[in-house]
Amino acid sequence: MESLAQSIEGGAIYTWVTSTYWLWPLMEIIHFIGLSLLLGALIVIDLRLMGYFRGINIRATHSLLPWVFVGFAMNLVTGVLFFFGDPFRYAGHTGFQIKMGLVVLAGLNALWYYWKLHPVINTWEPDGDTPPLAKTIAFISLLTWTGVLLLGRLIPYVSTG
Amino acid sequence: MGPFEWLENTSVALWVGESLWAYPFMLSLHGIGLAILVGVFVMLDLRLLGSFKEIRVDSFLPVLKLAWVGFVVHAISGAFLFTSQASYFITSTPFLLKIAMIFVGAILAAIIQSRLRNARDATSGEWMIDGSTKIVAALSLAMWMGAIVTGRLIAYL
Repeated sequence: MESLAQSIEGGAIYTWVTSTYWLWPLMEIIHFIGLSLLLGALIVIDLRLMGYFRGINIRATHSLLPWVFVGFAMNLVTGVLFFFGDPFRYAGHTGFQIKMGLVVLAGLNALWYYWKLHPVINTWEPDGDTPPLAKTIAFISLLTWTGVLLLGRLIPYVSTG
Repeated sequence: MGPFEWLENTSVALWVGESLWAYPFMLSLHGIGLAILVGVFVMLDLRLLGSFKEIRVDSFLPVLKLAWVGFVVHAISGAFLFTSQASYFITSTPFLLKIAMIFVGAILAAIIQSRLRNARDATSGEWMIDGSTKIVAALSLAMWMGAIVTGRLIAYL
């Protein structure tokens, strides 16, 4: 992490982010809009996968997924730029490291969804209850993303190390 | 001493400002509230504007209760955060714009919710979304995005 931070500092992106005064607030705005799209769509999908809001057709919930990806892409791009703009602060920050760990966990959980649930979801009752595996995956999803949100929000308030 | 200086010196405001965990705790609640409130209402707006049409628009109605829970969490935690720097926030243009946009956003959300409840066509049972509801949805989307933009700018302007 430290050597990665070292190689970033002094590079073109580092110089651009740190010398463009309006870029940081703009990235924060995009990061927050991205998190609202990501979590907004996931709240609906995951709570339905957990068996709530049965009026929502379970087979149609996948149509919300593009907004999850749009939100994630916005946060990935701005997140990488945050890191490039202040590499040493993030690299050594325990909260940031746990946050990235949770993002990886959420990603693996999404693969689990794609592998185990996506192929069979069209065989489920549109307004019915969901199997325990769906409830488990959806719960892990909400839990990890809530953790990501909280750690991200607290990074500025927790000192490094 | 004005009312906002007085507010800053109440025991609640001092607790938020000086306790090690009160401010981050309120900020966390404020973030979770934002994600639920803005996230769910934005999804409804996007649906009304034509995205993910496979999901019936009326099936969102129960989810809106959750969005209002998010609103209450966001508002209460926001009120606590406000007390700790009341005299600063009250003179901040982005802060005042943010409050105004959340206020208008909440009114528009209530209008959309009430229209959805009454939108079922009596004969066909279909849920009708007319052009004016789409305009309200677009305005609603603009208010939530504007509230995020102005909220982020408080620390910069």
